[in-house]
Amino acid sequence: MAGVNSPRQGAYTALAYVTLIIISIFCLLPFVWMALASVDSNAQLFLKWPDSWTFDNYIRVFATENGTRWFANSLFTVLSATILVVIISGLGGYALSRSKAWWKQPFLYGILLIRVLPSTALLVPLYKILLTANNGMGSLVRPLAGENYRAIMQMVGFIDGYLGLIIVLATGQLPLALWIMKVFFDGVPKDYEEAAILDGATLVQRIHRVLIPLALPGLAAAGLFAFMSAWGDFLLPLILLSSPELQTLPIGLFRAFLRVNEIDYGLLAAIATIYLIPAVIAFSFARRYLVQTFSGGVKG
Amino acid sequence: MTTPMIQLSGVRKSFGAVGVIQGVDIEVEDGEFSVFVGPSGCGKSTLLRMIAGLESIDGGDLVLNGQRINDVPPDQRGIAMVFQSYALYPHMTVAQNIGFSLDLKKVPKAEIAREVGRVSELLQLSDLLNRRPAELSGGQRQRVAIGRAIIKRPRVILFDEPLSNLDAALRVQMRAELQKLHQELRPTIVYVTHDQVEAMTMATRIVVLNKGRVEQWDTPIELYNNPVNTFVAGFIGSPRMNLVAGHIVGNASTQHFKANAGWMVSMDGRSLAGVVGQQVTLGIRPEDIRPVASAGEADMQASIAIVERLGAETYLNVRNGEDTLLVRAQGDLAMKPGEVVQLAMNHAAFHLFDQSNNVIAA
Repeated sequence: MAGVNSPRQGAYTALAYVTLIIISIFCLLPFVWMALASVDSNAQLFLKWPDSWTFDNYIRVFATENGTRWFANSLFTVLSATILVVIISGLGGYALSRSKAWWKQPFLYGILLIRVLPSTALLVPLYKILLTANNGMGSLVRPLAGENYRAIMQMVGFIDGYLGLIIVLATGQLPLALWIMKVFFDGVPKDYEEAAILDGATLVQRIHRVLIPLALPGLAAAGLFAFMSAWGDFLLPLILLSSPELQTLPIGLFRAFLRVNEIDYGLLAAIATIYLIPAVIAFSFARRYLVQTFSGGVKG
Repeated sequence: MTTPMIQLSGVRKSFGAVGVIQGVDIEVEDGEFSVFVGPSGCGKSTLLRMIAGLESIDGGDLVLNGQRINDVPPDQRGIAMVFQSYALYPHMTVAQNIGFSLDLKKVPKAEIAREVGRVSELLQLSDLLNRRPAELSGGQRQRVAIGRAIIKRPRVILFDEPLSNLDAALRVQMRAELQKLHQELRPTIVYVTHDQVEAMTMATRIVVLNKGRVEQWDTPIELYNNPVNTFVAGFIGSPRMNLVAGHIVGNASTQHFKANAGWMVSMDGRSLAGVVGQQVTLGIRPEDIRPVASAGEADMQASIAIVERLGAETYLNVRNGEDTLLVRAQGDLAMKPGEVVQLAMNHAAFHLFDQSNNVIAA
């Protein structure tokens, strides 16, 4: 380790730190602005110290605006999509890992294509398909529902309904989740299942007592990825939802930004901060499992 | 004669067009320690998995204790298995791992704890019951895997190369522990290994498998003394038997073996008149060749290529023309490569094989 303390080495280290600090500040600045503006009684477009500290902006999000509803809508649709992704990718990933079918590789690369194609490009056909499905669902629900028709369609409709958004969100996240689970199960030796068979475990017991506990890190990683990505999705809820009572947080933020009168930076910053929190919480959970999943955590 | 514990007759198995098990007939007696041995790809693990019920049987009969069990589900065969990877459930403690099969059967908690206690005491695992597999050493994991097998009080325990993941010293120790366990509990054991030393030291009977067929099936010492073909001759015994190609020369009264390399050795005491002129293979174990001082006592001379001095014995790798022979000499011999050495052979220990590699009876 000769020369570690030479002046030249020291200068390089200093340069590296200065560069990193500048980059960090550049990345952190928007968050600092957001945090400060959200508690500023007179927030402006430019970064500044709050005139006076206040939680008014947050109170307004929930009291005057429909913040609680937006938050609940976001959480409900994204969590439902995540649960759907976890179940399907768990079962599908296992099947894709253990199957020796000839279509396995083409299928795996095929679903990756869904991820690669920009969803914006597919919006029109997607909307058309969902509209058709929605009409079908409508004609099913109408004779049964009577006057509750609209309320029920908001739950099970494909356009302007929770179900449609949940399915589309889940579909978008499935390819990556399936890959994660397929690769994860590739690393889980078949011996565990065979040992369980010889121990007398039924299929259900094998899944419940052996496979799910073994797959938990993978499922957590796949689920958290799906959650974070779906939570950040803006375009799909914008296109698919129109009723105000179905709005999600990003749409609420967008509509608050678009209002014709003066832009209320304090309110926008408060909504944005609230929008960030679940993603940050999800990420802090994810870190633990990601390391495990992607560093061969199954070695016994 | 009692009914054998396990009986395989004409058992076959193919993967696609490849016949991995091509008609196996063997019997394993109750309480026997039977070892399947063979090179990798010989089908020994597949055969074991077929007995366990993890692989289907394409043809023939698998009979356990008088009952045909070809189609009996694995968990109802009364068979336990120790896997090469141990396959300990990483999310369960040692106690949970050992007691898992009882827990699945809804055995009361108190009874599971008692049984786990009994087994863990036997295997010296009592202090480790609350640990997880990741916190155990290789030998401890091995014992947990055995504990998980014996808690079910199975009629048969199958071992699939259980010592191959351990280092050499631990392997020797576990070998002794397995033998002790077998003597205490007297289960029927079928044990798969590619290591002929494991087979020789532990088995009451060895099944030598090659390319999905049984080459020979007998007690270890019988396999060592009387191999029926060159495959068994070369596989059993370490270092392996020298096999030299040549032919039998002589007349009706005396015969000699003449190696293709040119040297000759008399085949006294054998009636080989019928095979004079035929191509044969002579088998002689390294320990049956010894260096001698004078050419008068010697059967052949050869030049030394490699010397391995192990202290208690010395391995000499010697050459005579095309033929390379390994000599296992007692004691430490200060010999050097390039030296010419006189070698005497123990004529009573000759094995002679015909052109189809089968033994020629003396």
